[in-house]
Amino acid sequence: MSSADPRVKLLWAVLCTSGAVLFTKPGWMLGLTLFTAGGALLFGADLAAAGRRLKKFLPVLLMIAAVQVVFVRTGEPLVVSRGTVLVSREGLWRGLAAALRLIVIFCTGAVMVQEDSRRVINALAQMGIPYVFCFSLFTALRFLPLFIEAFGQALTALQLRGVDLRRVPWRQKLHLYNALLIPVLTEALCSVEKMAAAMEARGFGALPRRTIYRPAAMIGLDWVAAFVLLTLGLISVRIYFTP
Amino acid sequence: MTAIALYDVVFRYPRGGFALKCPFLELPAGEVTLIAGPNGSGKTTLSKLMCGILRPQQGRISVFGSGIEGLSLGEIGRRVGYLFQNPSRQLFAATVWQEMLFVPEVLGEDPGPLEARAEALLARFGLTELKDRRVPTLSRGEKQRLAICTMLMGGAEFFILDEPTAGLDRPNRAELYRLIDELLAQGKGAAVITHSREAAARWACRQVLLEEGRVVA
Repeated sequence: MSSADPRVKLLWAVLCTSGAVLFTKPGWMLGLTLFTAGGALLFGADLAAAGRRLKKFLPVLLMIAAVQVVFVRTGEPLVVSRGTVLVSREGLWRGLAAALRLIVIFCTGAVMVQEDSRRVINALAQMGIPYVFCFSLFTALRFLPLFIEAFGQALTALQLRGVDLRRVPWRQKLHLYNALLIPVLTEALCSVEKMAAAMEARGFGALPRRTIYRPAAMIGLDWVAAFVLLTLGLISVRIYFTP
Repeated sequence: MTAIALYDVVFRYPRGGFALKCPFLELPAGEVTLIAGPNGSGKTTLSKLMCGILRPQQGRISVFGSGIEGLSLGEIGRRVGYLFQNPSRQLFAATVWQEMLFVPEVLGEDPGPLEARAEALLARFGLTELKDRRVPTLSRGEKQRLAICTMLMGGAEFFILDEPTAGLDRPNRAELYRLIDELLAQGKGAAVITHSREAAARWACRQVLLEEGRVVA
């Protein structure tokens, strides 16, 4: 299934991420996470690489989960200290759900990252979405690693100017991160300007109509997969929201 | 006095491939040392090791006599400045003047006592007239000078300049050399990563030659 039409993969990604937003019941969320991970494997995603990327975000993931655990006090109390509920079943579940949501996003991301952007752009353009919009979106995504690198370098440069981040007060830290975005945004704008000029020099948008050398074509298996996914999605929503 | 010393240093990038080995290297304070070598020979890796951005898997690196193992980047940065290939990435404030006083402001300190020092540095490096200019509108050479000034504000005594001549024309290169001369005149030292023979001829200084991750001369 790794060579499936990009529209099938997009449909799967949209369904999984929408489910992650809609579902709040524990069993459903767990089921959705397993379904997403299975789909990612089926679509040939490199989950080991995604796992390595996820490792970097582990502190953020744990923090989001911890915030939910600490601040949601409703539901059956699990840990109580001097009459105060520290951890409740609802809080614990919401924390877990937040973490599972991020895993779903990472799994779908792992599939889409491997997909050839040219194929996705062409497929979306064939569906009637304006080519310029699709192209800009995927180009912006390709720039993300560069921005992450630029931000990391700015952070390093700041520390090399004698700023020990651990000692910066929280209020100042917010101001600091704002300031760090300045070189990154400046660079982004410069890159965009250069790229736009380079593209125009190569004739981008010179003609009102585009031709596609290799149009995307859904084969039988793609149609079956799309039908199964849509049916599964609709049935799940129906069952989930039926009282 | 030795500014930076590397002993039996081995560094490998986590995803494998490139490795840098440096059995022994000492960079004297108050002098210019040129670091040269072909593309991919490990010049930038070596420079990042020297100021603690990268940490070696084996060996020891010391900055002005202190091992960097226990030092944070902030602590190293108070003595060693690093000029990135792209100086735009190390300038954060809106104007030149705000940039000079950026660190005390971030730390919530009163920048007042440092203003005289900032004025003096701007004058010394020919930036006084640009004091109110917006940083993004500066030329690359001006950004380099400003970045060096901000490091001097922090008290840096030794500077690592990562390919500062790349993409500069002759007048701008001459301006950069004057900047390094100015640092030397202030008793500071520098390690300059460069392909430029012009730079080697100018200072007739010590050169470190790298090839495939090894110091060969």
